Amino acid sequence: MYDQIKQVGRDLFLQNAVSSHGGNISVRSGDRVLITRRGSMIHNLKDSDIIETGLFKNDSGVVLASTELKVHREIYLQTTALAIVHAHPVNAVALSLEQDEIIPVDSEGSYLLHKVPVVSAEHTVGSKEVMKEVPEYLKNYKIVMLRGHGSFAVGQMLEEAYQWTSSLETSAEIINTVKSSNIELKEYRKSSDKYSEW
Amino acid sequence: MYGWTGKLLRVNLTENTTNTENIPKEVLEDYIGGRGLGTKIIYDEIKSKVDPLSPENKLVFAVGPLTKTKVPTSGRMSLSTKSPLTGTIFDSNAGGFWGAVLKGAGYDVVVIEGQSETPVRLVIDEENSKIKDASKLWGKGIKFIDKNLNEEEEGSYQNLMIGPAGENQVKFASISVNGKRSLGRGGVGAVMGAKKLKAISVSGNKKVEIADKEQFDFVNYELKKWIKANPLTSEAMPKFGTSMLVNLVNEAGALPTRNFTETQFEMAENISGEMLTDKILQKNSGCYNCPIRCERRTKTKNEEGHGPEYETVGLMGSNLGVGDIEAVAEFNYLCNDLGLDTITTGGTLSCFMEMAEKGIVEYDISFGEADKIKNLIEKIALREGIGEELARGPREFAHSYDAGEFAMEVKGLVLPAYDPRGLKGRGLGYITSNRGACHLRGNMLGPELLGVPKMIDRFQPKGKSGLLINQQNFVAIIDSLVLCQFLTFAVGEEFIARVLSAVTGVEKTQQDLLDMGERIWNIERIFNLNAGFRREDDRLPQRFLKETGSGPASNQVFEQEVMLDEYYRSRGWNNQGVPTEEKLKDLGLEGIDIDV
Repeated sequence: MYDQIKQVGRDLFLQNAVSSHGGNISVRSGDRVLITRRGSMIHNLKDSDIIETGLFKNDSGVVLASTELKVHREIYLQTTALAIVHAHPVNAVALSLEQDEIIPVDSEGSYLLHKVPVVSAEHTVGSKEVMKEVPEYLKNYKIVMLRGHGSFAVGQMLEEAYQWTSSLETSAEIINTVKSSNIELKEYRKSSDKYSEW
Repeated sequence: MYGWTGKLLRVNLTENTTNTENIPKEVLEDYIGGRGLGTKIIYDEIKSKVDPLSPENKLVFAVGPLTKTKVPTSGRMSLSTKSPLTGTIFDSNAGGFWGAVLKGAGYDVVVIEGQSETPVRLVIDEENSKIKDASKLWGKGIKFIDKNLNEEEEGSYQNLMIGPAGENQVKFASISVNGKRSLGRGGVGAVMGAKKLKAISVSGNKKVEIADKEQFDFVNYELKKWIKANPLTSEAMPKFGTSMLVNLVNEAGALPTRNFTETQFEMAENISGEMLTDKILQKNSGCYNCPIRCERRTKTKNEEGHGPEYETVGLMGSNLGVGDIEAVAEFNYLCNDLGLDTITTGGTLSCFMEMAEKGIVEYDISFGEADKIKNLIEKIALREGIGEELARGPREFAHSYDAGEFAMEVKGLVLPAYDPRGLKGRGLGYITSNRGACHLRGNMLGPELLGVPKMIDRFQPKGKSGLLINQQNFVAIIDSLVLCQFLTFAVGEEFIARVLSAVTGVEKTQQDLLDMGERIWNIERIFNLNAGFRREDDRLPQRFLKETGSGPASNQVFEQEVMLDEYYRSRGWNNQGVPTEEKLKDLGLEGIDIDV
């Protein structure tokens, strides 16, 4: 599991989905959580950058754990997620500053995500607002955007949460490319007008 | 009411009465249908320690809110009872058309209670329900009954029937659905036989009301897109049926061979899905509103019929040392006509054959002797000669010779056709399943062999509890809806939650579904605890803990205790597998009686 967390951290950075010290990753195992260390270099994680702590109870692990631990715990408590990826994907963050939901226009994004809700919070890092809003959406969606901050994706496996993050960023890049090029879209998807109701 | 009919038909065979009752809406919303409703009714209405073959046991047939809609695979139905084979709460579900037609007759649930003194059959349609004499059908096989019933009743009826095995209360007798599909495994046919109920025929075509038709059409369209896009549901299953797994599982070192003494079979190719397709397949067909169409219509040199499915090929092919697809197909036809579960019949015979080869029981038979197997199958169904002993299932049979180690079972239920030494998460599913060793209680074959949703290390014992638990809870919902689990190869919880909300008008998130699934799972567990089951019953036979497998599993044994400890913790149970008070409160089950 340690190797997989390290690999996902590296891949997030390579896709421009996080900066050198941004984002965090966790995996749940029963009542324990493995989460990346606060301030760790996500593209170059060592074993000592992956911290084990309790899901329900604090222990010495919280001294080193990511600032977002509270949000991760709340997601695990409110959903059946077993893995979480929190990233700052550039194109998706840019879109979140303009839109209340991100609806992919590409085929793969449409199949996988249909729609990604965007939620707002005054305090976007480890706050009670985020703890309240984000898990609520993740009961019904694989991935949600926190406006101006980043994405939270969940999965039964870490690879899934990474896939939703990567897919969102690719879809967001396509949307931004279309918009900046002033291309007129030719719709090819039946029921595409219904995606906002997903 | 949207989705549900809200009606329950209660049939008392002792008093010869039928009554229609209303089901409270909150019960439907909390337990959905199928297995969920069945579990609630069995838990509420029968005592955990009741004799499964007594009049006090009940049969609860149930469908769900999606049944008979346009949702793919929505024609299935579920049956809950207490099993005579395992002594646990037990549910079994089957495809075909019976479920959709029962809903069309206007019912979500049919409860059968009591016991008739003479053979009877039940006929249900939109107008009324009648208990009729079935003396002329008693003793007859499934093919005969199906034909006879269709001639006797005017109009179009779908039939559930038991064969001679059910009448004789063989502990692994099944119930046939129109001679094509079966409610199998735990001896549900024996419970029906004990009640002297030979058949249930249904007819009806009432429509299901949809709350949000526009949203329903949209979500259902998206769902179908995934079925078409997924190679498992759009290519492999229609072309090869479930037996597409034979070669895959064999290569993985997980194909049960000669009573699980080996995990690779030298003649696997001869009984594979590819061989079945080349040699005996006539055509593929499907259940009500199913695009997957995995059903096989087959023909050997001597006979024709349906199947065999993968599990039958594993348990009656490689596990009996038989490398001939025609022979396996004919075992399957015979079991189907007599009303025997093929997995348990195979597991009982493999236990018997190993004991015979080792001289523990005196009988002239060895693995691979296909010609002697048919005769034994008939003896079991009729309880003749050695069949009388084998009809009790492998656990009781082997223990009666003080040789329990040769019975490959958990809680009395024979292991399906995936050896747990090559698929560790699968094994954890076997020991924790509430109905005994079962491949349908959390499909770890997906992540461990098929890469659904992603591939994980199949030999790794640790870290799989959370994933398995989520799967077990989700499957409890699929079984409550009652949909085919093959649908979950293509789509996950989010589609199911959205389509359910659109049909019923009751908003459910995917998390709501998993929470309800967890509640159903825990009620089943509590029923079993109250029936006397303990941690000691959550265990595999010693063979899997001490002897290694073959091929890729040649250095593998099953690490039981470490996996079980992790599983109990992840479930929120104590180290004896009893739900904690905190967990019960979370599930809204505070105050429920647990007798430990």
